Amino acid sequence: MIQITDLTKRYGDVVAVDHLSFAVRENEIFGLLGPNGAGKTTTIRIIMDILQPDGGEVQVLGQPSGQAKARVGYLPEERGLYRNLKVLDTLVYLAELKGMARSVARSRAAALLERIDLQDWAGRKVKELSQGMQQRLQFVASIVHDPDLIFLDEPFQGLDPLNVERIKRLIADLHREGKTIVLSSHQMNLVEVLCDRILLINRGQAVLYGYLAEIKEQYAPNVVRVRTREVPADLPGIAAVEPDDGAFNLVLGAGVHHQDVLRALLDRGVEIRAFEVAPVPLDKIFVRVVGGEEA
Amino acid sequence: MELRKVWIIARQEYLVNIRRAGFIIMTLALPALGALALLLGALFAGQMEQVGEFFAQQLDTGAQMIGVVDRSGFFSPLLPQYAEQFIAYEHEEAARTALLDGELSSVLVIGEDYLETGKVVVLTTGSGFNAAVVEDSATVRAFFVDHILTGQVDPAIQARAADPANVESQTLSSSGEAQGEESGWGLVSSFLIPYFLAIFLVTTIFVSSGYLLQSVAEEKESRVIEIVVSSVRPVELMTGKVAGLGAIGLTQVLIWILSGWGFSGGATAIWAVSAAAAIPARVLVLGVVYYLLGYTLYAILMASVGALGTTMRESQQLAGIFSMVAVVPYMIGSFLFTNPNALVARLLSFFPLTAPTMMMMRVPLAEVPWIDVVGSIAALVLSIPAALWVGSKLFEVGLLVYDKRPTMKEIWAILRGR
Repeated sequence: MIQITDLTKRYGDVVAVDHLSFAVRENEIFGLLGPNGAGKTTTIRIIMDILQPDGGEVQVLGQPSGQAKARVGYLPEERGLYRNLKVLDTLVYLAELKGMARSVARSRAAALLERIDLQDWAGRKVKELSQGMQQRLQFVASIVHDPDLIFLDEPFQGLDPLNVERIKRLIADLHREGKTIVLSSHQMNLVEVLCDRILLINRGQAVLYGYLAEIKEQYAPNVVRVRTREVPADLPGIAAVEPDDGAFNLVLGAGVHHQDVLRALLDRGVEIRAFEVAPVPLDKIFVRVVGGEEA
Repeated sequence: MELRKVWIIARQEYLVNIRRAGFIIMTLALPALGALALLLGALFAGQMEQVGEFFAQQLDTGAQMIGVVDRSGFFSPLLPQYAEQFIAYEHEEAARTALLDGELSSVLVIGEDYLETGKVVVLTTGSGFNAAVVEDSATVRAFFVDHILTGQVDPAIQARAADPANVESQTLSSSGEAQGEESGWGLVSSFLIPYFLAIFLVTTIFVSSGYLLQSVAEEKESRVIEIVVSSVRPVELMTGKVAGLGAIGLTQVLIWILSGWGFSGGATAIWAVSAAAAIPARVLVLGVVYYLLGYTLYAILMASVGALGTTMRESQQLAGIFSMVAVVPYMIGSFLFTNPNALVARLLSFFPLTAPTMMMMRVPLAEVPWIDVVGSIAALVLSIPAALWVGSKLFEVGLLVYDKRPTMKEIWAILRGR
């Protein structure tokens, strides 16, 4: 779907994107992550053909960057709408710019407004909408032309929990419809829920890239979480035991596998109600990787 | 460039801006003033006659008869053809009394040594302006010439002495050929029309550039611009805006002309046709060419500069630089009338930013060297794609930098492709 090879972009002496390579596959939700100023937006703008790279190659939907604009949707981080334009007219105009016929654009825009409960506002000016309504409208403005590939740069920014859920549902629906989505967000909990694979970039370079599950496993801490009445004191290979909300976190010694701990517990006849490798949230991986780099 | 996208943007700009309160107010202000004048005329039709009488009284110098006190003997008796306007008095006191009683508008007291000195005392009431009017009067001049020369010289010579020159001007080309007679109307139109066109150009530039700035600044401030440039190329966006807002300017002018035609019962339209007929085809064609090229160049520059500002005010300040340059030819306007082919005028004709107004002022005044015409048009034609290229580059970065204006160093780096 997207093939980026050795992409480089400089602003004067600052290297915003530094020999970056990655690929986005068809019908996946791909997370593009990184701290502020890492080069995410620059990378997206280059893929959208808004900026020109200094080096490297960009292929979008099998074509050079810029030749597939009609099939790509974009919700930028810095976004807004024509405040004095009517809601339906706004969507129709943006769809026409993407090459959609006016009559088709009108019916599709009307259908999308219904989908986000704004059908009664179609004839009103954008400035009359509440902030939440405007954010929903902005989201559908990026998909009004029925694109195959959609870039969502901070789609949850400034949304209340209700609207976060609405947008989450919309993203999931688009995924089910076969769309490919590139999601850039600082809300790691949402990225964890939505994304299949991720790319974490820092200072313009890739620092983590691959399936989210594999990355989480790779960064899993050497801790198991056991829900039981008590943990035997003579359990081998355990460096520390920390009570945690009715359960125990067992910090494993060096070279000790969690399977060995489970076996030792069963051998001692401990009644286990739950046993899991302690999960590592994505934000902790983020902080560890980026923080480690910064340090 | 995808023309369909350019058309969509142009149509959008046209439809959005034509509904702007500012456009509607400005467009309707002129016809509204015309309507107001007509309304007042109708309302005060009766009173206007009284008003007219009041002014007529103020301007009336009283009786139109002129008294003559002749001490030289050349004016006695008065020739019969002047009996209705002049009346002879033997004594000055009697003439003064008649003047003060309002029976005369003025009195000419002709001295004994008139032939040697030409001395004549003019007595009037009111301001000294009245005496000056008498002095410059063609009738008074003919009165003196006829009384001195009747019977002395051939009547044809006498008539010429009273009206020595019936002026008719001709302008020669550089090869010495006459460029046709210029009637009074032709002379007026040769000054009026170029000035009208030049002022029209600058006005349209200011008005349209204002809309361009507003349009670009609004898209930038509302952050909708990034969505737009993800769909179209900057050059398509800029071309669409220039075309759409150019059409707005033309609509405004069309409304003004039509409303003028309506209020004057067609007189304005007739005047426009007559004016066009009186202007040489060369002036008319070149005027239209310079107008179109000038508007296009300025519109592109205004749009691209507008993209660099972070606020509307900042964009307007930047655009003001170009507006200042556009009016430079007016600053040397009076100098141009006497020397339209002066070196400074020729140099400014080759500079794209001053070429349109400079050439539109020069062409009707004299035969401009063909190299100036070709050179100025070439300069404009070449500068338009260059401006479009530079403007698109500035758009690329200027539109997406929200917090600060790009520095000159950054702009230079953009233009060098870095």
